[in-house]
Amino acid sequence: MALSRSFVLGQHYPGNSVVHRSGALVKLVSTIALMVGVFVATKTAQYTPIVLLLVVGIGVSRIPLRFFARGLKPILFLIVLTVMVQIFFTPGTAIWRFWFVRVTREGLGLAGFILCRLVLLTLVSVLLTASTSPIELTDAVSDLLKPLSRIGVPSAEIALVMSIAMRFVPTILEETERIIRAQVSRGARIGEGSLVVRMKSFIPILIPLFVSSFRRADDLAIAMEARGFRVGSPRTRYHARHFQSFDAFIFLGTAAAVSGVILWRLFL
Amino acid sequence: MSIELKNVDYIYDSGEPFEYFALRGISLHIDDGAFVGIVGRTGSGKSTLVEHLNGLLFSTRGDVVVDDEIVRNDRTVLARVRRRVGIVFQYPEDQFFAETIFEEVAFGCRNYGFSKEQVDESVHKAMSTVGLDPKRFLSLSPFQLSGGEQRRVAIASVIAMGQKYIVLDEPTAGLDSGTKLAVLAELESLRQAANVTVILVSHNMDEVAEFCKQVVVLDEGTVAFQGSTDAFFRDADLVDRTGLELPESYRLARALKECGSPLTVNECSTDRMLNSLRLCVSDLGGA
Repeated sequence: MALSRSFVLGQHYPGNSVVHRSGALVKLVSTIALMVGVFVATKTAQYTPIVLLLVVGIGVSRIPLRFFARGLKPILFLIVLTVMVQIFFTPGTAIWRFWFVRVTREGLGLAGFILCRLVLLTLVSVLLTASTSPIELTDAVSDLLKPLSRIGVPSAEIALVMSIAMRFVPTILEETERIIRAQVSRGARIGEGSLVVRMKSFIPILIPLFVSSFRRADDLAIAMEARGFRVGSPRTRYHARHFQSFDAFIFLGTAAAVSGVILWRLFL
Repeated sequence: MSIELKNVDYIYDSGEPFEYFALRGISLHIDDGAFVGIVGRTGSGKSTLVEHLNGLLFSTRGDVVVDDEIVRNDRTVLARVRRRVGIVFQYPEDQFFAETIFEEVAFGCRNYGFSKEQVDESVHKAMSTVGLDPKRFLSLSPFQLSGGEQRRVAIASVIAMGQKYIVLDEPTAGLDSGTKLAVLAELESLRQAANVTVILVSHNMDEVAEFCKQVVVLDEGTVAFQGSTDAFFRDADLVDRTGLELPESYRLARALKECGSPLTVNECSTDRMLNSLRLCVSDLGGA
């Protein structure tokens, strides 16, 4: 349990809201556009359109806020570090000084700006992965890559590799937990002691994990071939998806927010 | 000295959309030196229950008590509890990692700080208990064995630690019928020789009827029955309600009774039933 719990970034939060039901491709493109928008902005105030859209999106998705908070946890250290660096090392007019440490007005402004940028980037991607199942997401990526297959990019194979990898992440996490439980029951102490001891304590977990992953890959290859899979042959999809009215809202909302940021930056 | 569960609840993913009550108000008592079966249909909470016994999971409510010690998330308590309760998980051969069988079986002993001589002795003893010749096997790689041999090595790797309670989750799954019986017989002999308490989780009712004197029946996370195995299998309605099936011997005995055959036998495990059938036949022949 513990492992799969700390793995929120890229985790699905099942639900039946409009955000969940709208197309993965639309959401993926919107997410990319919003991220571009986040990087286009040069002042904190310019984030307003994106924040508004995100607030609406999160509200409509009915995913609890603490799920988003958990998504922020892994990058907490990064946030704190960059904010500190901005606060203490930005030159400008000092508003507070102590010994050799000085805090500048510019530093505080920049720190707030970077903080918003990191939090927004994370929240946007958590909203995408929380409301979209991994399988839908890989389908969307393969759709996005499809035009590239004309210039020789094996987009179908990339999508297949990705969807298999995604499909097996939970399985392998489960397997890892299973092996940890077995080795702990045999008195193994994992992650205790000196660095060398700690590294060595992972051997009884990693080797069984490798062995079972290779066996699983072998089984999967045989199963796929037995069911007539051939690399490069055209394939259809079990769940074909069509554009729906809510997709249009997401598109328009994103377009409005991103162009809002761009216009704000250019003309205000 | 015993294992006792007092009103144990366990909820997976408490407060999440997947929240799931795996155990509800489980109270049970496992005597020292017993051979106890834990049965129940898939998803009835058997594996979750097992993981409470050595502190891999902690109850959401209620206490798990091993030899008068409440299992809780404390390093020294856990070390003591795990020193007493060994678990052989489903498909235990998936945990192999060492280059030789000796290293594999010695892993647990070394973790518990056995001296070199103690490790040697425990490994040899455990291998003999599971019916593998130490001289022939110890220097081989665990990965080159047959399925049955791998299973035995995995069981040896747990019993080598000399724990008082050995819990086995489906130890015979995927083995052929001869090997199944042999493995269980080895556990029974271990129980008698070293007074080890054996707790067997199984889907195979024939096995349970044959080897377990006591049985704990789980149904949707609650204890549906606890007591003598024979008493459970005699209550065909209860067996049916808990989604289990009668062992062959009990089914045969019922069928004989229902068709009014002059061969009447008490419903019990295969061996004893064969004996009583033999007696019955010779009685009839004598009359």
